[in-house]
Amino acid sequence: MAETKGVLLPAYVVADESGSMAPYQRELGDGVASLCEGLRAEPMVAAKLRLAVLGFSDDVQVRLAVADMRTETTVPRLVIRGVTNYRAVFEDLLQRIPGDVKWLRGEGYRVHRPVVFLLSDGQPTDGSSWHAPHAELTDRDRTPTAPNIIACGLGDARAQTMVDVATRPEFAFLAKSGTDIGRAISEFFHSLTMSLVASGHALNSANPQLVVNRPDQFTMAIDEVGR
Amino acid sequence: MPGLDFEARPPSQYAFDFPDSECEGWSTDRLTLRFASVRGAKHRYYRQPRQDAARAAVHEATGSIVFAVADGVSSAAESHQGAVEACRAAVERILHQLDRNPERLDSTDVAAFAAERLRELARWRLGAPAPQAAEVARLYATTLVAGAVRTAGDALEAELFRIGDSGAWLLDRAGGGYHPLFGGKAAPGEPLVSNEVSPLPLVPAQPETAVGRLTEPWTLLVGTDGFGDPLGEGDGRVGELFARQLAVPPPPLWLGHVLDFTRETFDDDRTLLAIWPRTEGHR
Repeated sequence: MAETKGVLLPAYVVADESGSMAPYQRELGDGVASLCEGLRAEPMVAAKLRLAVLGFSDDVQVRLAVADMRTETTVPRLVIRGVTNYRAVFEDLLQRIPGDVKWLRGEGYRVHRPVVFLLSDGQPTDGSSWHAPHAELTDRDRTPTAPNIIACGLGDARAQTMVDVATRPEFAFLAKSGTDIGRAISEFFHSLTMSLVASGHALNSANPQLVVNRPDQFTMAIDEVGR
Repeated sequence: MPGLDFEARPPSQYAFDFPDSECEGWSTDRLTLRFASVRGAKHRYYRQPRQDAARAAVHEATGSIVFAVADGVSSAAESHQGAVEACRAAVERILHQLDRNPERLDSTDVAAFAAERLRELARWRLGAPAPQAAEVARLYATTLVAGAVRTAGDALEAELFRIGDSGAWLLDRAGGGYHPLFGGKAAPGEPLVSNEVSPLPLVPAQPETAVGRLTEPWTLLVGTDGFGDPLGEGDGRVGELFARQLAVPPPPLWLGHVLDFTRETFDDDRTLLAIWPRTEGHR
């Protein structure tokens, strides 16, 4: 008997762990913890989400594998290390997301288009080598489980890079010039929690849609391009 | 904190005219109708009104049953009102069409009439003579399934159309299977559910339509996705429950009770309308 268990939104938080984030390790840790607590406080929403936390620098390391946050008891910990390799991120997601979707479907769930929230404080150190895996990941013909990507840039990250990473121009954000980066990181996680809660409400409804809230201290990156 | 059981909270104060649950039930010589609509756990907890609606009427000249089911879009501010008004407008327009031509429905005309009703509401609400479609949608966007079960000689024929992703099925009461009359949320072979939904006030050039004979042992079901999502293909426990409960027309209040089942992740409003052909023995 094929039991229908529900429709889930897989959400991936991909956080920059490169050396330049070292001064903000506390804000990163607090942000991840507040995200986990925020979802636990909304169990009806959390029931419809599966959250993964990935840290990236030279490579991608899993800090939390796709988890049900109502029952997950550990708080993932990000570890500062290495450089900012975007290619590693998109190659990893290219393998990981189809596998996770297949697994969730095998568990009896139907699956919404996954969403990736990427936070980076710098320009990619691998030049343009990430363009090819990114293009494959976001091409819905080649990758049927292609995610929506929301890109948030801090510090040295450039507006054009965030626009190139995000799957829609309005999904790209850049911390306002002169903003305290620690505070911007906190706002990123606050906005991320709000976006996931709002999406959790909206996705299982008559007009399912991803809700993306602009973090305070951030502007739309598209407004910054060409300035 | 919402758990498996919690006391429903009231909707906001001006949503008093949209009760938590409603149900309906009656029979004509040839057909039996039941519907129930219940507020989902999410809306009961977050103090929102039920955004689903259903309405049904008998077309007295022909004995046809006319029906409409709507699921207000949660992001629309007054979608609970949009859903009810879309149902009212659709039933009114189909009754009007049956007066003029009992042979075939004009689904585009019905959808346009319902969309116009939403525009009229928006005009009144905004005090604007010509609100834009986006403004109407922000207030009253809703899905709609509407149609009629007609008598055609000795036969009974169901004809319905939809705007958005609410569903309709023929339930085989003998075998327990559900035959969907419209496509599902996930195209065959696609790994993800589709989020492409275009609710009213948008009116497609040609709404998705379905026509089918209603004979024993089939029952026509029309439901919002609050029912359709947990039903899935109909081969799980929810499908088994409703096949058993709908074997004969239940009391309307009982249908509401059964529809108010608890199932993890399924916390949306639920509406189910069912029409049975009446057999000689039940008349």
